[in-house]
Amino acid sequence: MSTNAELSPGTQFVSSKATRTGVVRSVLGAGGQGTVYAVDLEGATFALKWYHEHYIDIDTGLRDRLANAVERGAPDGRFLWPLELVTIPGNPSFGYIMPVRAGHYVGMRDLIAPPPKRVELSLADRAKLCARIADSFLQLHARGFCYQDINFGNIFLDPATADILICDNDNVNVDGAPASIYGTRKFMAPEVVRREVLPSTQTDLFSMAVMFFYVIFGWHPLDGQQEANIKILDTDAENRLYGTQPVFIFDTVNNANAPVAGLHDALVYRWQSLNDELRDLFLQSFMQGLFNPGKRVLEYEWRSAFLKMSSAVYQCGQCGYENVAQSGGAAKCGYCGQDPAVPPLLKVDKNILTLDVSRPITSSMLSLMIEQPDPVVATVEAHPQHAHVLGLRNQSAETWRSEIPGYSATPIAPGKTLRLLHGSRIETAGGLLEVINPGDTPA
Amino acid sequence: MSERPPVPVITPGALARRRLHVMFALDCSGSMRGDRIASLNYAMRSALPELLSVAEDNPEVQVMVQVMRFDTVARWHIDEPTPIEEMEWIDLDAGGETAMGSALAQIGEALDSAEAGPRQLPPVIVLASDGYPTDDIDAGLEQFFSSAAATAATRIAIAIGSNTDLDTLERFMNSPEARLKPLRANNAPDLVKSIKWATTAPVKATSSPTNAPDVASQLALNAEQLEAPSSEVVW
Ligand SMILES: Nc1ncnc2c1ncn2[C@@H]1O[C@H](COP(=O)(O)OP(=O)(O)OP(=O)(O)O)[C@@H](O)[C@H]1O
Ligand SMILES: [Zn+2]
Repeated sequence: MSTNAELSPGTQFVSSKATRTGVVRSVLGAGGQGTVYAVDLEGATFALKWYHEHYIDIDTGLRDRLANAVERGAPDGRFLWPLELVTIPGNPSFGYIMPVRAGHYVGMRDLIAPPPKRVELSLADRAKLCARIADSFLQLHARGFCYQDINFGNIFLDPATADILICDNDNVNVDGAPASIYGTRKFMAPEVVRREVLPSTQTDLFSMAVMFFYVIFGWHPLDGQQEANIKILDTDAENRLYGTQPVFIFDTVNNANAPVAGLHDALVYRWQSLNDELRDLFLQSFMQGLFNPGKRVLEYEWRSAFLKMSSAVYQCGQCGYENVAQSGGAAKCGYCGQDPAVPPLLKVDKNILTLDVSRPITSSMLSLMIEQPDPVVATVEAHPQHAHVLGLRNQSAETWRSEIPGYSATPIAPGKTLRLLHGSRIETAGGLLEVINPGDTPA
Repeated sequence: MSERPPVPVITPGALARRRLHVMFALDCSGSMRGDRIASLNYAMRSALPELLSVAEDNPEVQVMVQVMRFDTVARWHIDEPTPIEEMEWIDLDAGGETAMGSALAQIGEALDSAEAGPRQLPPVIVLASDGYPTDDIDAGLEQFFSSAAATAATRIAIAIGSNTDLDTLERFMNSPEARLKPLRANNAPDLVKSIKWATTAPVKATSSPTNAPDVASQLALNAEQLEAPSSEVVW
């Protein structure tokens, strides 16, 4: 039998766990390690990854890794996790089954692809996407696994909802166990590029931060002046840029790799449009975190920062560029530099929500946790006759209590709307909300 | 609510993508006439879509294609670096001698002018030949290697049939410790496979997971997986 022979439709296989028998249907895709098939197993459709023989010869730890993954189970529903090992009588190779990825998911790299392939996502959706990635890797790492090879190729997204799926879980390993792979170009931590260590949860944190920078900026965090000066990027140059002499493009101390005017302007606009909290996380990741893996930003820190960011995005009133609101200080649009006319805000604890009639407020926006399902608790509505007068409708099942400065407290029953006035406080089940700058003052 | 201005679309990646030049030097001498040139045309036709698809896996890179043909003289078949998305294959015909030296010299010049242009990755140069050079190959190789980009390039040679100048092809590849050897294409299916591999593997190496320290070692690893030639018709 030749090493890359495909399984023909109708081939029967046996699953390890329940020794059930399934049938191969069609090819879903082929890669360097194996081919992925759509299969039937007792009435349900799954994906079967079937390895090339030459690959199982090289990756000797594969079967144990997969068995371990199957036994421990998926960290959460976003992983296309190995469910069962699979063998075929008389065939020396093996494979595993996993859920099928639905057709409306696209690869993460489409976010930076040139048009017409490019997937355009709002800044708020990009932030949501990142929060979900952080959440999933938190679940993975918390179970003692490391992913080893976080990159564009193995995360997929639904452009309509910014939901994610994480594929290629066959490299996932128990943290500290010998790794099967170094990683993917430009995503590897500097110490992995230098071949000093093998991938671990700490190098995963670096790769994840690179991924976040790509999602928000469409660009690599270590590609500034230094990279722009290199005419032919050969292996030596790559090792310097990403291994031995990496410098963050927005490094606040060392400007050796700073943005180049005319080339990196778009990155500068985006940097200026972000809130301090997110900028600080990037600075920590790509300044201290470059050489000190212990200083890398943790998953829950990213998750909370991105969740906050996703509900604080607004469009500049002058130019339409998306900015992130934060409390304190006069705002300036990151793109046009003018007063962006910040929309009314809701302050929830230390967190800021921008109010927008087209965006319902959901429970997770108040709790800053990933919630599934995520019910709408309030909507912002314009007064039918006076568009500039805004109200907040209670869409939750609980009665709120509102306190307007100088008035006595009033209950806001479910379905009722409260007129938004600067300084009003609203007690809800999700926390105490404070209204800032809703425009019109009371007559 | 008032009408909102449209979101300014600012696309850094698309503006400043690094180029990856993929250049072909293809033998169109008399000995290629018949099924060899037909297979070569077929191989190029089928390799281009695969090259496009691996190029799309690395959106930070713009793949540009150029094709040099050589028979009694060497001249460009596709002389402007052409974005892979716009490539349409035009069939080559065969007849004449084997001006490989001149072909490599001209590729060296093209690499020099590309080096003056936008940022790039090390180029990929694929040389396919079924015979012995009939012009001054020493001068050609010297001029070729005088270009810094040629030295940095991933160079892959394909030996078509059994009467090829392997020595020259190895000098062109100049692979350290001869890790990469010329690919042998002894029949039509092999030629298709070799062309596809030579074109796509170096591009794929820029965006796929790796265990190897550099592109050349990764290619050497992958090349081992190219299957042994199938027997059938042998050229
Ligand atoms: N669960 C799935 N549902 C649908 N398609 C899938 C699934 N898993 C993998 N595929 C597709 O099958 C193909 C090969 O899968 P995979 O990436 O796992 O192979 P690989 O050998 O690891 O590839 P590579 O050479 O890129 O590492 C890809 O096109 C992938 O999109
Ligand atoms: Zn603006």
